[in-house]
Amino acid sequence: MRVRRFAVAAVSLSTVAALAACSSSTTPAPTASGSSTASASSSGTGATGSGAYDPAHAGGTLTLLAKSAGGTLDPKINYTLQYWQLYQATYDGLTAFTKVDGDKSFTVTADLATEIPKPTNGGKTYVFTLRPGLKFSDGTDVTTDDVVASFQRIFKVSSPTAGSFYNGIVGADACLKTPASCTLAGGVVGDKAAGTVTINLKDPDPEFLFKLSVPHAAILPKSAPVKDAGNTPIPTTGPYMFASYDPNTALIMKRNPYFKEWSHDAQPAGYPDEIDYKFGLTVEAEVTAVENGQANWVFDPPPADRLAEIGSKYATQAHINPLTAFWYAPMNVNIPPFNNIKARQAVNWAVDRNAVVKLYGGASLGQPVCTFLPPAFPGHVDDCQYTNPAGTTWTGPDLEKAKQLVTDSGTAGQAVTIVVSDDEVNKAIGEYLQSVLNSIGYKASVKPISGNIQFTYIQNTNNKVQISLTQWYQDYPAASDFLNVLLGCASFTPGSDSSINIAGYCSKPVQAMMDAALKTEQTSGLDAANAQWAAVDKAVMTDSPVAPLITPKLIDFVSKDVGNYQFSKQFYMLVSQLWVK
Amino acid sequence: MSTSTTSTPSTSATRSAGPWLNAWRHVRRDKAAMAALFVLVLVILVCIAAPFYASSIAHTDAFTSNVNGTYVVDGQTKPVLEASTEGLGLGVNPIGPTWTSQFFLGADNQGRDVMARMLYGGRNSLMIGFVSAVICCVLAGFVGIVAGYFGRAVDAVLSRALDVMWAFPVYLLAICLSVVLINSSVTIGPVTLNSGSIILPILIIGIVYVPYVARPIRGQVLSLREREFVQAAVGAGAPDSRLLRREILPNVLPTLIVFLPLMTAINMLTESALSFLSIGVQPPDASWGTIINDGVGLLYTRPMVAIAPGIMLAVTAVALNLLGDGVRDALDPKARLRGAV
Amino acid sequence: MWRFAGKRALAAILVLFAISVLVFLIFFATPGVDPAARIAGRNASQETLAQVRQSFGLDQPIWVQYGVMMRHLFIDRDLTSFVNRGAEVIPQVTQAIPVTLSLVIGAAVIWVVLALVMGVAATAFRGTAIDPIIVVLGVIGVSLPVYWLGEVVNLITQSRLHDTIFAWVPPLGYAPLSDGFASWSLHLLFPWLTLAVLYAGIYARVLRSEMVGAMNEDYVRMARAKGIGEWRVLIRHALRTSLISVVSLFGLDFGALIGGAALLTEVVFGLQGIGKLTYDSLQNFDLPVILACVLYAAFFVVLANFIVDLLYAWLDPRVRNV
Repeated sequence: MRVRRFAVAAVSLSTVAALAACSSSTTPAPTASGSSTASASSSGTGATGSGAYDPAHAGGTLTLLAKSAGGTLDPKINYTLQYWQLYQATYDGLTAFTKVDGDKSFTVTADLATEIPKPTNGGKTYVFTLRPGLKFSDGTDVTTDDVVASFQRIFKVSSPTAGSFYNGIVGADACLKTPASCTLAGGVVGDKAAGTVTINLKDPDPEFLFKLSVPHAAILPKSAPVKDAGNTPIPTTGPYMFASYDPNTALIMKRNPYFKEWSHDAQPAGYPDEIDYKFGLTVEAEVTAVENGQANWVFDPPPADRLAEIGSKYATQAHINPLTAFWYAPMNVNIPPFNNIKARQAVNWAVDRNAVVKLYGGASLGQPVCTFLPPAFPGHVDDCQYTNPAGTTWTGPDLEKAKQLVTDSGTAGQAVTIVVSDDEVNKAIGEYLQSVLNSIGYKASVKPISGNIQFTYIQNTNNKVQISLTQWYQDYPAASDFLNVLLGCASFTPGSDSSINIAGYCSKPVQAMMDAALKTEQTSGLDAANAQWAAVDKAVMTDSPVAPLITPKLIDFVSKDVGNYQFSKQFYMLVSQLWVK
Repeated sequence: MSTSTTSTPSTSATRSAGPWLNAWRHVRRDKAAMAALFVLVLVILVCIAAPFYASSIAHTDAFTSNVNGTYVVDGQTKPVLEASTEGLGLGVNPIGPTWTSQFFLGADNQGRDVMARMLYGGRNSLMIGFVSAVICCVLAGFVGIVAGYFGRAVDAVLSRALDVMWAFPVYLLAICLSVVLINSSVTIGPVTLNSGSIILPILIIGIVYVPYVARPIRGQVLSLREREFVQAAVGAGAPDSRLLRREILPNVLPTLIVFLPLMTAINMLTESALSFLSIGVQPPDASWGTIINDGVGLLYTRPMVAIAPGIMLAVTAVALNLLGDGVRDALDPKARLRGAV
Repeated sequence: MWRFAGKRALAAILVLFAISVLVFLIFFATPGVDPAARIAGRNASQETLAQVRQSFGLDQPIWVQYGVMMRHLFIDRDLTSFVNRGAEVIPQVTQAIPVTLSLVIGAAVIWVVLALVMGVAATAFRGTAIDPIIVVLGVIGVSLPVYWLGEVVNLITQSRLHDTIFAWVPPLGYAPLSDGFASWSLHLLFPWLTLAVLYAGIYARVLRSEMVGAMNEDYVRMARAKGIGEWRVLIRHALRTSLISVVSLFGLDFGALIGGAALLTEVVFGLQGIGKLTYDSLQNFDLPVILACVLYAAFFVVLANFIVDLLYAWLDPRVRNV
């Protein structure tokens, strides 16, 4: 996933066996080295785990602030973390990520289904039994017809992941070709009498349960419009429903009158009576509003000049959580000067990652990284090929070596343009990178462009971007989500705005290593492939198509009267669990 | 302001001094205007001396990032960007004003000396602000006079063109240009401009504000056209060119002179908006406007970064305006000819 | 009179047409703004991209897209946004209008009064120290960047002194007039002052300059000769003709502001007016909203200039209508 406020893809394009094949285990089981321990929520009142619902704290209005709205309200189309955070409390799929604080938030549990079935037919058939007695927020019952219609709707409204997550369902090919007449016949079959829904896949897919747990697979009424619903709310199954939505002013959520908690892990009852998500203030104004108690939480990251006061005067209201993500500078390996491997390696040698940490907000908020996979991630092994003095973690840059490499490469003196987003932090890091490139022998300039187009701009090879600055946030803990998605040959489409392999890197030997690792996962499980992924990481870092910079931490700044802060590693702060009374 | 007096012929010459010399003498007697001139010259000199300040006084490079830099105070070496140590230790703040030769006004978010950058920035700001104001006033004067004097169809076409210019979304054009110019350059005649060229903001700002000055001028000319002395000249058979030169222009000039420093101030600020969009002054170069932009992001911790260039800008603008008033009063044909109070 | 209005109306339509075409051309000349990829969602497959492009008509030639968009905007009146799908553009604009009107009209009243006072005072006291002081104050107002000033005002009233001196300042945002005059004006007080500071300086300067010139005119000497007191001369005789330049400027500024030129003030103070709508749509590259906002703004510029031209005749009776 790219950046939390943009899009969340809960599963990667590749098939990664997060589960051992054919097992009914639901945990993606991060390896021992991979799990982030209870450094989850730092200060704050967050009790870990799923305590039972405490009615004493029910009530009140929760006010959330964001600089701007997050686009369409349609859960099958919206691809931003901003709204996926809200869908957790509104929509449900057959399965869901457990809505608790801590590591357990990566496990999948049964939601609208009564239990997670063992796949039969060689792992290709899942039979889900729908929980009886559930209703949508408009009073209608949740039936198997709705489930079938919801899966068809994924294709009918051209969901962004229709072709990547759900193409494994039988009948999906026909649906991708002609979405309007999508029936998924043979793929998703409902049996009203028995109350079951049977899903048939073309091939076994160990990630399928994850794909069912993301909002794109939410179960909606069959009466939902067969086009992007836009600003019109669709009835929900969760504890809240969307009462009104004006992208220029506010999104109002109210309690779903027909909701009764059926599983505290899958969909806990919510505490606030109403959630007001207001848009339009600048980030500085938002932070001030939370400080004054006029609002309860800010979605946008706090600006650099407020961090000090948040960390000191309001320390008890700040929650810091590590993210499995990294900031990096992809270099276009197909055009000069970075089509020369020495030039790329020079950049990795020259960047002082401590400086980038400072510009990001300091050591409490960021850590230097030297590998493609972030620390505490399955497949990560401490190793650094670009540190001086040499070691397994990054300690310092080597400017002399970098200058030598640039001279050797013959690219010295060339003009280089760094394309960054025009927000404060990205611009500051971009200016720093410009200085670095100048110091090793290039003529560098930095070009900030609007954050709304920068990401698609740097992907399109027609724009001839030489080097840029961007971020990648995990979808779920699997090495392929970083390596194969960002550096795989299949992710590189020249001339398209959607070519997530920004560096344009396609190496046959490395791709072969990645395919081998994927196969190992499918046959022997996630952990078995870790060593292979570590080897891929090492090989990729030697080729140096990107310069990994830092891994960030997330700050949630809440107001004084807010309690019960819970942080799910999958979807971040649990909005419905906050106490305002 | 001093009172205006009638022009006095120089005692030793056999003919009276010309209007320009008289005007200069008039200005010289105007205390406020002379003070303003002095301040203006001081500002310009100081900005020209920017490289000297940076290398010999502050011992700093105003353009290279200095994120990990250090400075020495009381024998102790401290980082320029220091991490906060209170509470959770969030955030990194640049040092504030030291009021010594190094980091006199503190550092910006890249650890660079704000004072040195401000002096370098003054060159860009003054150049862009003033040149674009001159272009604007000259063009606007021309358009306004032609439109107001000739009237009818000429006025209709010109005024509608001014309407389009004023209603035109310059911000959109600027964003488009900034993206287009990432990799390519714009060619106007023999001149090739890339996004870093300051000719681009000078042209854009100069042209954008033409309606702002042209319409008041046009209004004045419409009124002037009907005045007695103009009618008299028409009656005497004067051709248009003489009328424009002798009667219209001198009466419109005072307004233009008042607008010039006003537009300089406005243009210096508009330039910062354009730099924000990567047109004109590019990082790591600076102008007062870009330093103010950076400073707004540090407002809650290091307000001086935004206040200092703002003060420089205001001082320059005030000086220009006071000087402009003095010149205007000196050149006002009515004051001169009638010798009025 | 009516022929004059008719000709101007025709010219106005031409101006609007020219601007809409320019906006369209500039938008599509900008690389990277193709909305299809952003609408389709991150990492979308190429087929999804193509389908989205088709459903939005983005695969049509540019002049067809122009015609379709104009038809949706003016005839069907159901033009929808590129970014917030299904959100109609015209209601967004009409919702934002009262906010901008409140901001701009209030600020205009303040700055006109301020400018008149400052300009008249500077003229009346010219030759003394008061004249340059007023000029200095005015120019300082012009030199303050609006965004910076707004942030400083917020820093002081919402953050640093919010608990003490400025506890009465309401949270940022707009309160509609229907909620009560007191609440409406309190929310707008600092935005008004911030916006007015810039323009008061400009107008005071120009007014002073014109009035000083007018004081040397024949008819002023005539009035003095008749024995009319200095203040009356100043206000009833000199002021009127000096207003021509000021009125021209006011027409330009007020027209532009109503159309959304106050965008930085609106952004800083969290007012969802036309300016902010324009600003957001430019950042989002939301062509339908950009088009609607720019045309709305252009309409007011043209209207304001038309009214100003009518006013010239009233201000200076010697001027013939063009």
